[in-house]
Amino acid sequence: MTGWIALAVLVGLVLIIGMYVVGVFNQLVKLQNRYENAFSQIEVQLKRRYDLIPNLVETVKGYMAHERETLEAVITARNKAVSGLQQASSDPSNVAAMQALSGAEQGLTGALGKLFALSEAYPDLKANQNMAQLTEEITTTENKVSFARQAYNDSATAYNTYKESFPPVAVAGLFGHSQNAQLLQFDSAVIAEAPKVSF
Amino acid sequence: MASDFFQRQSDARRSTLWLVCMFCLAVIAIVTIVVSVAAVVVSSQSRQPMQAISAHPEQLAIPALAGLITLVLIVGGSIYKILELRSGGGTQVAEGLGGRRLYPNTQDPTEKRLLNVVEEMAIASGTPVPPVFMLPEKGINAFAAGYSPGDAVLGVTRGCATQLSREQLQGVIAHEFSHILNGDMRMSIKLIGVLHGILLLGLTGHLILRMFFYSGGSRSRSNRSDGNNSGGQAILVIIVIGVVLLVLGFVGTFFGNLIKAAVSRQREYLADASAVQFTRNPEGIAGALKQIGARAAGSRLKTAGAAEASHMYFAQGVWEGFSGLWATHPPLAKRIRAIDPQWDGKFPEADALPASLGSDVLAGFTGGVQLQSVPPAASTEVPVQIIDEAVNHVGEPTTAHQHYAADLVRQIPELIVEATHEPYAARAVIFALLLNRQAEVRLRQLEILRKNAPADVNQLVVGMQADIDRLDARVRLPLVEMSLPALRAMSPSQYVEFYRCFVDLAKADQHIDLFEWMLSQVLLRHLRPQFERIKSPPVMYYGLQQLGRECSILLSAMAAAGNNDAVAKLAFQQGATRLSELKLQQRPRSESGLGDLRVALEKLAHVAVKHRGRIVDACAAAISADQHVTWQEAELLRGISDLLDCPMPPLLIPSAAASSRY
Repeated sequence: MTGWIALAVLVGLVLIIGMYVVGVFNQLVKLQNRYENAFSQIEVQLKRRYDLIPNLVETVKGYMAHERETLEAVITARNKAVSGLQQASSDPSNVAAMQALSGAEQGLTGALGKLFALSEAYPDLKANQNMAQLTEEITTTENKVSFARQAYNDSATAYNTYKESFPPVAVAGLFGHSQNAQLLQFDSAVIAEAPKVSF
Repeated sequence: MASDFFQRQSDARRSTLWLVCMFCLAVIAIVTIVVSVAAVVVSSQSRQPMQAISAHPEQLAIPALAGLITLVLIVGGSIYKILELRSGGGTQVAEGLGGRRLYPNTQDPTEKRLLNVVEEMAIASGTPVPPVFMLPEKGINAFAAGYSPGDAVLGVTRGCATQLSREQLQGVIAHEFSHILNGDMRMSIKLIGVLHGILLLGLTGHLILRMFFYSGGSRSRSNRSDGNNSGGQAILVIIVIGVVLLVLGFVGTFFGNLIKAAVSRQREYLADASAVQFTRNPEGIAGALKQIGARAAGSRLKTAGAAEASHMYFAQGVWEGFSGLWATHPPLAKRIRAIDPQWDGKFPEADALPASLGSDVLAGFTGGVQLQSVPPAASTEVPVQIIDEAVNHVGEPTTAHQHYAADLVRQIPELIVEATHEPYAARAVIFALLLNRQAEVRLRQLEILRKNAPADVNQLVVGMQADIDRLDARVRLPLVEMSLPALRAMSPSQYVEFYRCFVDLAKADQHIDLFEWMLSQVLLRHLRPQFERIKSPPVMYYGLQQLGRECSILLSAMAAAGNNDAVAKLAFQQGATRLSELKLQQRPRSESGLGDLRVALEKLAHVAVKHRGRIVDACAAAISADQHVTWQEAELLRGISDLLDCPMPPLLIPSAAASSRY
């Protein structure tokens, strides 16, 4: 009789532990997918930013004919950033490509900042409805880029914390979750100098 | 200090957990009290020592039964209320409060900014972008409604969108996203449900006592004269249980409400802390709270239904009595201090409008938005829902797009725009839209209206018909959608009358075209749930395998719309490739009746969401097969996707084709 009870308790325990492990596995997968998705969001928003810039230059061109150099600098920086993104996204683990992208991004941000600063001197441009809309679009895209980075870091942290906390840490390695998610360094120059595009 | 938001979040979570435990304990305590009171009464009645209880099964049975009934009442009442609150969905709440949906193709810079901020916060919080509604209210407030993140919507007052700076707006929206992410709406619906169950207990107690005093009293006397002790005992037990239920029910509701309010306040702190996490900018949300404090209008809402949704707002939406115990939101000052401990307690000057908003916005704010009933200025406020494919072009609004939208707005005379905001006139707008262009049919329809519609509605229709006839057909669906909130304000009897007229008008016109038909289907789909009990279709098909015929009917109709037979064939094939697992047969034009289409759509509404999306996708492929999408095809697609209860995805039209047609 006692043997049966012991067996039943044992089976029950194994079942409970098994269910818990399944839960841990699912949670790990969920968190991993979340941060991977957050990473792709950054890419989407960067692309969107690059797409907006030709429109911006097109709009500004008519008003700022004398600022040819600035406009060309924006376009060059944009093209550099586009190719940087292509390389970085084809191999996200490549540190050099990531750094190149980050550098190109900074160059673009600087060129854009200069363009917006110059545009202050053109009242006609400021009154242009199209320009106002583009400004709003670029502002929101800049914000989205930084929010996407931040969301990526938040979700990567959540994944790392869960993976390293006690019961999951015992099994995480078994399920192939041994590597910590890499946090993106907030490149202070890129974030802090997001161009002030308010008129 | 910006870094301790995680700490504040876990504090708020812990307090909530504790409160919810108290709530559960209260329910358990209620059941225990009922059982023990019943046991005491039974044993004292039988005048037998407690030890002997096991010898008398009925002495156990009565308390057990009482406990069971209590539990069933609480659980049943809760489930009923929860299901009722769930069924509404976020959209209905927002429209009930007078909200107007904002679309990404809006021309108003304030609305555009609001939508952009919502997208930013959706990215920051990792939740899908919810539909956004704007409430015509002066106070600064916002809410999230809906049961799950999937059906959540955001509502934002006009005051909030115009008076806050971009950072502050981000804070407010991030706060609402926290409610969505943390399932706060779901929790408060559950708490309200359980409270309802406890209240039901009190009502049952009341009912038992009434029954006893009005009818039971005489019977108990006759029972006693029979000397039947057990009958008298049972009645006494029932009275005592009635009293106990009454007291517990009302005391429980009282304290339950206190707990619910306390939970709600904790969730507000949590949401404030999360808003700082999402924006990494404590000044944003603190600034928004200060702006509310600085303004006379504050966060009050004027709409009649505001109280019902009080737990969902950003800040206190309705006056909740002098005691802070019933407040669903903590006091403003406390919330600000929690985020910004250095705050000096002074609210900023109220007139300090953010510099980024131009003077035109200021004028609109002071002039146009005093009362809800004042129709907003026509030029900026009309929601022009051009084909949602414009979603694709949000980032790159070409000048063609802008001209197109502006033209559409200008086409609607101001009179008609105003009419759509007013329940009587909105009915007239709908009737006028249904009028046929053929003189003879129209005469018959006007006759129907004269007989069945209220005289003043009839008059409005007659006055309006010329204007409506002149309208571009493109604005017909937008007009229907604009009228919906006003139409929802009808009384049930008005609705019955409206519905009868509507059906008669549609029938008088013996041949309806596909577009007209879709218009009426969209209208009915959104109106009927408000007045009739209609369940949303349960999912019955998890694949399309059995639905080849229905898909064929739908695709044939889409392909045939506005195309000649050769193009229709190509269009059908294009659509069919999207549903490659099915063998689809194009149906000849003569066989594709609207009756079949209606049946097919009803059946397709039972398909799982994922596959419904694919059906819409296939329809989109069909209409864009010839690289030339007319407004009619696009509006038709919008209507179909609406009928399938599918959020409209951006159309898959090559952008060259899309913009060349304007």
